[in-house]
Amino acid sequence: MAKKKTYKSLKWDQIKKGTKLPEQSRDITRRTVISTAIASRDFQDVHHDHEAAKNSGTPDIFLNILTTGGLIGKYLTDWTGPKGELKNIVINLALPCYPGDTLTSNGKVLNKYTEGDEYLVDVEYTLATGNGTHGSGTATLAIPK
Amino acid sequence: MSDDLYDKLQSMIGQVTGPYPANDEVNEPMIRHWSEAMQDGNPLYTDEEYAKNSKYKGIIAPPTMAQAYCVPRLWPPEDREPHTLEILTEIMGEAGYPYVVATTTSQEYFKPMRPGDKLKYTLTFITASPLKKTRLGQGYFLTVVYTYSNQKDEVVCKQPFTIFKFRPN
Repeated sequence: MAKKKTYKSLKWDQIKKGTKLPEQSRDITRRTVISTAIASRDFQDVHHDHEAAKNSGTPDIFLNILTTGGLIGKYLTDWTGPKGELKNIVINLALPCYPGDTLTSNGKVLNKYTEGDEYLVDVEYTLATGNGTHGSGTATLAIPK
Repeated sequence: MSDDLYDKLQSMIGQVTGPYPANDEVNEPMIRHWSEAMQDGNPLYTDEEYAKNSKYKGIIAPPTMAQAYCVPRLWPPEDREPHTLEILTEIMGEAGYPYVVATTTSQEYFKPMRPGDKLKYTLTFITASPLKKTRLGQGYFLTVVYTYSNQKDEVVCKQPFTIFKFRPN
């Protein structure tokens, strides 16, 4: 029988303004670009067809926007644990992310506050490749006190 | 200086198209495929035992996934009128601004998506900038909002999406 897994979650009380989120990195391969495009039902050729991507003026296939959102969501709830609830994410889209890039995620707590019965945290985050920022912005999460 | 294109865009602000139903219900296989590809181990998405004992009382989809259920199918072609973004693309193309780059998007989440939910979405045109010059060229920033709701007409996610329609320098 598989071992029952336990999952840690952060508490709002443990979080301070200015707290840095642990850095994460992922090597982006062709499989990453294609499997995430398919999982998000995005069959535009620039996300799986190298020749078509080159013909459209970009050096290679690149991550689709839905995946950028999915990876930000993953990064943030990896930090909070499963009791952290995403309320919103703002994404400023910058450089494309290509196979061969290492995508590195960083973040910082901007603010913590309560609204109604919710304990909220605003963070800013950046997903960057060796060439610069891929996506950056802010997000709000509700985290149990 | 008068700008007929800008005036035309302004007159279209508020235009809504849809609702367009998703081709698939929210379902566990698509959630798991997404979690695998994103390498997202959040147990709310894939660990039934954990999810059952959570406040959601069962598996939920990643909130970032709403659009994945609503992407137009590959085949057969969707039988519908052009939606807001397609209408704008045509107008901008005809006016000489055929190139596009997405600049900003955001997602605000209101209700969890659960397996069995039937999503639909509308597209609303909310803002158009005056003619702008950027390093890519000159053109207009246009923002539409995708509003995703479920079978109870509860909004699950709002997703503003800004594109720059331009002609290169």
